[in-house]
Amino acid sequence: MRTDEDIKSLHPLEVTVLRRYDAADVLSASALQRDLGLNVGQSNQALSWLAARDSLQEHNRSILTRYEITDLGRDYAEHGTPEERVQAAAREHGPLPLPRIAELTELPNKDVGSAFGKLSKLGILGMDGEKQVSYAAGPEPSAAQADIDLVRALLRRAAAAPQGLLEENELSDDERRLIGEISKKRGASGAAFRVVESEIVEYTLTESGMALRAAVEAAGLSGEEVGALTPAMLRDGSWKGKSFRSYSIHVPPSRLLIGRRNPYCSYLDQVKDKLVSLGFEEFDGPLVETEFWNSDALFMPQFHSARDIHDVYYVADPTHAQEIQEPFLSRVAATHEDGWETGSSGWDYGFDRDFTRRLILRSQGTVMSAKTLHQAKVPGKYFGILRCFRYDQVDATHLSDFYQTEGIVLGEDVNLRTLMGMLEMFAVELAGATDVKCVPGYFPFTEPSVEIHIKHPELGWFELGGAGIFRPEVTEPMGVSVPVLAWGLGIDRMALMHLGLNDLRELFSPNIENVRLRTGKQAG
Amino acid sequence: MPKIELQQDELFRYSGRKFSADELEEALTIAKAEIDDPVDEDGLIKIELNDTNRPDLWSTAGLGRALRLYHGSGSAGRYGFFSRPDSPVAAGDRRIVVDPELSERRPYITAFAISGPPIADVLLDDLIQTQEKLCWNYGRKRKAIAMGVYREDKIQYPIRYKAVDPDSTTFVPLGLDSELSLRQIIEQHPKGREFGGIVAALDKFPFLTDNSGAVLSFPPVINSADVGAVQAGDTSLFIEMTGTDLKPLLLACSIVACDLADAGYTVHPVQVEYPYDTPFGRTVVSPLYFQQPVSVELAYAERLLGAELNADEAVQRLGKMGVRAEAASGVITAYPPEYRNDFLHPVDVVEDLMIGYGMNAFPSEAPRDFTVGRLTEAEIFSREVKTLLVGMGYQEMIFNYLGSRRDFIDNMYPEEQRATAAADCVRIANPMSENFEFVRPSIVPQLLGAESVSAHAVYPHYIFEVGKVAVRDADDNYGSRTVTTLGAVVADADAGFNLVSSQAAALFFYLGLTYEPSVVDDPRFLAGRVAALLVKGERVGILGELHPQVLENWGVTVPCAVIELDLDLLRRVGGSD
Repeated sequence: MRTDEDIKSLHPLEVTVLRRYDAADVLSASALQRDLGLNVGQSNQALSWLAARDSLQEHNRSILTRYEITDLGRDYAEHGTPEERVQAAAREHGPLPLPRIAELTELPNKDVGSAFGKLSKLGILGMDGEKQVSYAAGPEPSAAQADIDLVRALLRRAAAAPQGLLEENELSDDERRLIGEISKKRGASGAAFRVVESEIVEYTLTESGMALRAAVEAAGLSGEEVGALTPAMLRDGSWKGKSFRSYSIHVPPSRLLIGRRNPYCSYLDQVKDKLVSLGFEEFDGPLVETEFWNSDALFMPQFHSARDIHDVYYVADPTHAQEIQEPFLSRVAATHEDGWETGSSGWDYGFDRDFTRRLILRSQGTVMSAKTLHQAKVPGKYFGILRCFRYDQVDATHLSDFYQTEGIVLGEDVNLRTLMGMLEMFAVELAGATDVKCVPGYFPFTEPSVEIHIKHPELGWFELGGAGIFRPEVTEPMGVSVPVLAWGLGIDRMALMHLGLNDLRELFSPNIENVRLRTGKQAG
Repeated sequence: MPKIELQQDELFRYSGRKFSADELEEALTIAKAEIDDPVDEDGLIKIELNDTNRPDLWSTAGLGRALRLYHGSGSAGRYGFFSRPDSPVAAGDRRIVVDPELSERRPYITAFAISGPPIADVLLDDLIQTQEKLCWNYGRKRKAIAMGVYREDKIQYPIRYKAVDPDSTTFVPLGLDSELSLRQIIEQHPKGREFGGIVAALDKFPFLTDNSGAVLSFPPVINSADVGAVQAGDTSLFIEMTGTDLKPLLLACSIVACDLADAGYTVHPVQVEYPYDTPFGRTVVSPLYFQQPVSVELAYAERLLGAELNADEAVQRLGKMGVRAEAASGVITAYPPEYRNDFLHPVDVVEDLMIGYGMNAFPSEAPRDFTVGRLTEAEIFSREVKTLLVGMGYQEMIFNYLGSRRDFIDNMYPEEQRATAAADCVRIANPMSENFEFVRPSIVPQLLGAESVSAHAVYPHYIFEVGKVAVRDADDNYGSRTVTTLGAVVADADAGFNLVSSQAAALFFYLGLTYEPSVVDDPRFLAGRVAALLVKGERVGILGELHPQVLENWGVTVPCAVIELDLDLLRRVGGSD
């Protein structure tokens, strides 16, 4: 039993009711109206709330029959019933024909006829051979006359009662007999009363109701506690001396739709911020690129198997860039053909200067590393999280476009050991790795190359990314003579884990409800 | 990257030792290889090879050799059957005579023969796999290299490599029992349909026969059903490769010859006689050792690896990689193994040094240079915009950049304007499917796409994305521009012009900017309820109520109002105060 908590959720009406009644009392809507001055709605509401929290138990359930006076009944109450009026007309003006009585009483012929029928049967009126009606009863009061008077009295009482209602159980036997007669007369020209039957439920307080009652008293609640604090109360100071109703803190709050970042985007921002904190400057570039920057500048031979039509998206129109910036074009072309001045033998084929202008959708983030080289600072660190496009069937592990995280480090003293030092830093800072292992790797544009495998606290061992030292065939045509570390990280797997997903397509979900409900773990 | 399937026991035989599963995983790292599927009950293991410049590793013998040299006691053996450009090995009768008409078609052929014990099934399977991997991955799907294997006892030397008329030349191809013309083969035979495209445009097709006229093959498409049908149990084979560049052909020839020599066969050189010049003269005997030594200064290697190296040890470490080397006055000269041609630059020797020493020889070291990190201006501005949108109650979305014509154009524009709208988009010439044919020109279609699948989500919907779109621009070197864009949609019974107008005003106020609304005719919106937004006379965006036809096209049954802004332009014109 949590009565302390329960009393906070009590409505002032419930408090009022609890304070008024004790274990022996019988509660009903009419009792509440009578005792507490509540209206019907308030009474019923208070009873149903208290019953719902098991403070009340049903004591008795009965049908209450009441008679409600109709408009016709109110007319009779004021001007007399047809029996009275017909009788009075005959006595004062008779003998008269029935139509004439109707004129005098302003009653419909039908009502005059039935009133005469009833009165003549009782011997109060009579009719001669000329169809003239005259008063026939003697001067002494008869039982019949008493009934007629009683009906009129009932009508007057009802007309004066609240809502025109008479309760059946408050009527005498005679009254109950008579009101039954005139209420049943429905149809023809209506009746003076309408029968209203309603169910009356009576309650008594339960044990827990009594406990609640005790708690209410102990807490000093009066039912007069203030609900909402209003600006008016603050303005006029009327809040002073008032006590405020306590609210139940366990009621489930209603749902709020808020403005919010997308958790995947927030995750990417966290990665960007982390890289910036490690001294990296962000780079960015167009989605449409040339074969030159996408591959040629990275010393991938134009006949390389990864440069097939089924690996890259070609732009339909225009098909080629107007030009490739010099001196980079000539240097890269020469490097492919015979190594140029890089000390390389080159790939020993005729470089296609038309194909190199072919426009494609960027297929690797390394494009921006290549484009950044000729304007990079030494020492310098750069990164980008770049949307790339791949000629892949879309499924849980492949997307047509996705983000790659790439970067470069330029410096007189960078080497394989500092490369691995940097990768370990990424592993710990970005992935929370507990163990790191580098193994030889292969990338067309770096030599030597390594893969970094990390032990993630939740995912276990996996390949975090690849890195290496850019080949001189990549850096020297861009006028860079210092070693350049190039690296790429696969962060989507960590992003999925971070978001509790297992399908790459979900990262880009159009489903608003899914996105609203998706929560990322806090960066650890 | 190629994957090969091999008998683990065979691999261990070539390696000269066994490995546990963990040991093998570790041992394979020196070949940049990893286990793709662990060994199964039939003893088969699947291995992925990551280095596309090391086709010598794509066979059981080749991978086993690398493991033996590095992890075993073996030293780099010498293969006595190799010719050198200036000292050919005598080939005897084994000659191929090349037709002058091939010089412009498929000019080069290399070959050798082997003899020895009856060929076992496992070796034949491995040879077929080597052929596939070499020709597919290294030989660009047979375009650069196509390989054929034949029963040498059925061949009368010299072999004729010629160009023939595709319609009048007929033979029985492997897998059939009746003659077809070469033209019929490329049209009807499965292999013809797969590889016929390489020669289809030629007036004459490459053709290989022996001296008696018996057909060996129609390279690069299909062998003959007779000479070209090799079986387990054969004891002598003739192997040839045709293609467009001589060096890759020579390398592929060397790789297969070394593999078979390691398998215990005697390799017999073959002399090819060209009526035209080749990089190695008109008479070329293969297998040929054509590679050049590469010299690297020890100091250069030390700089890249970040560690001091001893010259003698370096030579010994290269030996573990199968590379013969010598050191003199601070310079190491490396001689690539016969089966490798991946030493283009001294850095390639440096990498073999790295692997030869092992990664543990190079402890990691924290980077020392100090540099200042920063985000791009566009990113900083985008974040400011996102913060304000979130403050207005918007949920951020993120979408893919590729989509369909239906999404980006048909659903957004009335029919008569679709051609113009499509012409403003970057379209893909070789889409994988029509669902990913266009780069998005606007974020609005995808926001509506989200609305169309989110009718069950409690309204109102306030959704936005800041991302890239691409639009055509004839003045640009690339013919298009990538634009950082804000797209925002309100979907609600009360969504309308006034709401997004107030939001735009608030957004601009907090960005410290002002805009002028301007009347614009845009069929995506209800006429009279759309405004272009001008900043200093430049149109930076648009806002308004979407046309009910657009909503109907998307199956959206709630009114939608939109804001879309070019954030790059906004930043430029706004920042020029």
